[in-house]
Amino acid sequence: MSPALFLLLVAGLAFIGWITGRARAARFTGTGANRPHSLPGYHGWYVALWALAPALLFLAVWGFVSPGLVDATVTATPQSAAIRLDPADLTAEVRALGTGALTTAFHPEVVPLVPVFQRVQTHYDVIGGVVALLLAFAGGAFAYTRVKPDFRARTRVEQLVMAALLGASLIAVLTTLGIVLSLLFESMRFFARVSPIEFLFGTLWSPQTGDSGTFGAVPLFWGTIFIGAIIAMIVAIPLGLMSAIYLTQYAAPATRRWMKPILEVLAGVPTVVYGYFAALTVAPAIRDFAAFVGIPGASSESALAAGLVMGVMIIPFVSSMADDSIAAVPQSMRDGSLAMGATTSETIRKVLVPAALPGVVGGVLLAVSRAIGETMIVVMAAGLAANLTANPFSSVTTVTTQIVQLLTGDQEFDSAKTLAAFALGLVLFIVTLLLNIVALRVVKKYREAYE
Amino acid sequence: MTETSLNDRADKQQAAHGGTLKMTARDVDVFYGTKQAIKNVSIDVTQENVTAFIGPSGCGKSTFLRTLNRMNDTVASARVTGDITLDGKDIYGADMDVVQLRARVGMVFQKPNPFPKSIYENVAYGPRIHGLASAKPDMDAIVEKSLRRAGLWEEVKDRLTDSGTALSGGQQQRLCIARAIAVDPEVILMDEPCSALDPIATAKIEELIHELRGRYAIVIVTHNMQQAARVSQKTAFFHLGTLVEYGDTSDIFTNPRQTRTKDYITGRYG
Amino acid sequence: MSTIAPALQPPPKPQPARVPTDWTTTSMQGRIRRRYRSERRFRLLGAGAVLLSFAFLVFLLISMLGQGLRGFTQTELRLPMDFPAARLALDPATLAGPNARAALAAVDLEGATARAADRAYGTGGYKLLSDGAWLSVRSAIQADPQILTRRADIWVPTSTVIDLAAKGDADAEAEAGYRLLDARKAVRTSFSMAFLTGSDSTDPTLVGIWGALKGSLLTMFVTLILAFPIGVLSALYLEEYAARNRWTDLIEVSINNLAAVPSIIFGLLGLAVFLNFLDFPRSAPIVGGLTLALMTMPVIVIAGRNAIKSVPPSIRDAALGIGASKVQVVFHHVLPLALPGILTGTIIGMARALGETAPLLMIGMRAFIASPPGGLADPATVLPVQIFLWSDEVSRGFVEKTSAAIIVLLVFLLAMNGIAIYLRNRFERRW
Repeated sequence: MSPALFLLLVAGLAFIGWITGRARAARFTGTGANRPHSLPGYHGWYVALWALAPALLFLAVWGFVSPGLVDATVTATPQSAAIRLDPADLTAEVRALGTGALTTAFHPEVVPLVPVFQRVQTHYDVIGGVVALLLAFAGGAFAYTRVKPDFRARTRVEQLVMAALLGASLIAVLTTLGIVLSLLFESMRFFARVSPIEFLFGTLWSPQTGDSGTFGAVPLFWGTIFIGAIIAMIVAIPLGLMSAIYLTQYAAPATRRWMKPILEVLAGVPTVVYGYFAALTVAPAIRDFAAFVGIPGASSESALAAGLVMGVMIIPFVSSMADDSIAAVPQSMRDGSLAMGATTSETIRKVLVPAALPGVVGGVLLAVSRAIGETMIVVMAAGLAANLTANPFSSVTTVTTQIVQLLTGDQEFDSAKTLAAFALGLVLFIVTLLLNIVALRVVKKYREAYE
Repeated sequence: MTETSLNDRADKQQAAHGGTLKMTARDVDVFYGTKQAIKNVSIDVTQENVTAFIGPSGCGKSTFLRTLNRMNDTVASARVTGDITLDGKDIYGADMDVVQLRARVGMVFQKPNPFPKSIYENVAYGPRIHGLASAKPDMDAIVEKSLRRAGLWEEVKDRLTDSGTALSGGQQQRLCIARAIAVDPEVILMDEPCSALDPIATAKIEELIHELRGRYAIVIVTHNMQQAARVSQKTAFFHLGTLVEYGDTSDIFTNPRQTRTKDYITGRYG
Repeated sequence: MSTIAPALQPPPKPQPARVPTDWTTTSMQGRIRRRYRSERRFRLLGAGAVLLSFAFLVFLLISMLGQGLRGFTQTELRLPMDFPAARLALDPATLAGPNARAALAAVDLEGATARAADRAYGTGGYKLLSDGAWLSVRSAIQADPQILTRRADIWVPTSTVIDLAAKGDADAEAEAGYRLLDARKAVRTSFSMAFLTGSDSTDPTLVGIWGALKGSLLTMFVTLILAFPIGVLSALYLEEYAARNRWTDLIEVSINNLAAVPSIIFGLLGLAVFLNFLDFPRSAPIVGGLTLALMTMPVIVIAGRNAIKSVPPSIRDAALGIGASKVQVVFHHVLPLALPGILTGTIIGMARALGETAPLLMIGMRAFIASPPGGLADPATVLPVQIFLWSDEVSRGFVEKTSAAIIVLLVFLLAMNGIAIYLRNRFERRW
């Protein structure tokens, strides 16, 4: 008897409960004030839910508890006492063999325990299943006895629906909490080994050794800002802003209808594709260009390549934020300027853009937050050397690149090296969060100004 | 009554009144896409007089006003036919520059629309783009003169750097008038300039219109007949996109020739 | 007759002589010409920005297509196999029986294939073949055991060098070699099903994307069944039921912030919570799906809320007015009307999840996995991660395979976005 079969049986019981509850309620008659409170369907659901919920809850709990019980029973057998192995390793191996995850044993002496394990496992599965079935039956029967004409089944069912809705929306809170707690917790462990001062203000980053004194993250912060907030923005702001201006103020409606979604494709291309493009096409071209012009320190993985491509990726963000902001400037401003004999470009430069500036700035902040959190482009094109340089042709590294680098491969989870990734993640999380909050404030204030 | 005889009569009245012709419109049609918004309108604007356009909402009076400085160009689907001249030159002609035209024919809008800049910059905006002041003192003089003419100087002279949007509605509208005056236009078009204002602010604007009369040819659109009677010397009554009657304000209000005009000013509809 | 008498108007005040702006002077005219020039420049600048962005997109797509389309093809070499002479310890009867697999595994087909190549193309001829050429020989035997009794020509994949030479992308020596083979009509380049049905490999001539694609599909399945119901229910709660209080604010702030958190942070969450705390299997689609679901859920919630908001209140009032309960109003009226908008948002969120790489690297989906995953808990990789892994390979043969995998990914994304646009246009309702 497998757990899946018990699940099926419970579901079957619930279905029977639904049918019988519904059938019983369907016999109720009465009109006017004596009309039954709820439709038969709700009574059916009420019974089915009572049959389902306790049983499933029990099975979920049992799923957590029973492996421990099984392991305890297996290690308590005289056969296992004879084996000189750590009990945890022993049960893990037996379990792997018993469920078929492992086909050959590392320690041949555990093989005789496998049938024991399977017997015990089945035993506990059956116990769990039978209890679940009993619970389902009891719950269903209890609910069935409550099915009466004046019983408010609909209200009860709807209360449960409401609980489900609330529960679903709490997942977001739990996720945020999970992010904050896991980052904080692991970062604390990191900061117990490396001082926060050194991490935030040190300029030497060389975590491969794992020694203290090599976790200065300043070169990473600089690289992130250099690529994401400087180079990428030098590309994205003029192109995005001018594209938005052209498409909203000059282009024919047909052009606008076609070009706008086409440019938005730029935002939909996966970042790994950009990264590949940056590494394969853009970076070599830039290196060759630098060598041709004679710029020293040109590397095949350059800040410029990553920043340029990231800037292109960001264009649609800047452009659509600028588009929204300019569209939110009242038409009367534009008319006012044109009516004084200003040309369209004078109107745009001297009235529309200054008026839309808060919105545009908010959009740029959002774009920066997106750029500094971007991972694949920099992992593939920016390199790993933690240089503190302003030369765009040389290689720099970023926070996200180093997170990937530190967590790649199978090292033990507790080393300072892996924990450093969480400290970097915490910094990234805080910075992007602040940027977003500020940006949304600015944009919101600006929207209110014109409402 | 045919349109031709109406036009003839407009010409005769014009001659009788003895104003200096500033702008003329002849047989003007305006289309939005396929919909005709203005049908065959002919009218004269004189230098000395304030001309009021009245009529029920949607009658085309604002649309027609916007053809006089080609603001309809900003609406992609709008098409204007017929002749409109400024000092005898066709404003839709190939040699007429729309930027220059709008500097000469200024406009004040229904809702005050100061730019989100300082009071000073709002007024200085026009002279700056048109290059009317070569140095800071010149610009200061233009700003002061314009604000004085708009009757706003005394109220704002100590806070010229405050944002134009921080003023009250009536002050904002006078700022917009100052902004229009600053480029030294020849004609000022006002599109229901008081409809968003309270009575006291309205009275100030009307007073201002009296002050400005004679220096600028003024055309004002209003849905308020009392206002038309108070500020204008010439009145044109629009209905359903046609010009029903045009003449001296006193004649229109005391002795309208058309029954439609009479019905409107006595409050039968509109 | 009229109730309105013209007011007594003051006569025009005497005005000082007005000096109108003289627009005809050369300096004024020159100024206007300059202003128009600057207007044209500005306009050109705008058009240039649009065109530059557009050109970049076109360049990106063309370079991917240019390199990638070749990745779907594979050059094959005609290998004359003289089976009787090779003296393989196999006979057709065994292969028809139940021990076929074991019998085939016991034979050195690899050696036989290499010897056949040496015989046909001179010593060192085996270098022309892909490491996996013998697999084609094995398939030929499995397909027709009678082949063992005669000589037969079998088409087998060539080595990377020959493959690249066939596509005009190798050094002069290799291309000369290829031309010799071509003259003997011993090579052909054709569409390779193996690329669509295979999995990862260390040899670029043998790789395929099915393994990664299946991993992606499994991961997306988990993401969808988690993110969609949770997202829709949250959106309903926030739009229709939530009271304005601190809890609701907390939920809203959380969702808005989650939508803006960098994806790699979700990877860290998955690593810390799912792998280290809950001890889920590494590299498994179920963990990838869970992680991506947390990332996609806020997108669905935000899209869902907008769709629900656009259902006019009159519909709710009408339903409430005939005595429907709040839950009935929402599930009978609001949700069905908002569903197209919700689905559009869901598809867009799923498309983003499908292209996501960074969080999956964090939870170990970057392992080398040579067979397609069999279930949700099996080690797997996904398409974008596979692209990342191949892009890191040294062998030049991987370049076109990487681009080909990118084409497959882009086709999927394009299809999803196309469906979203279709849904939006088909069901968009203006109230």
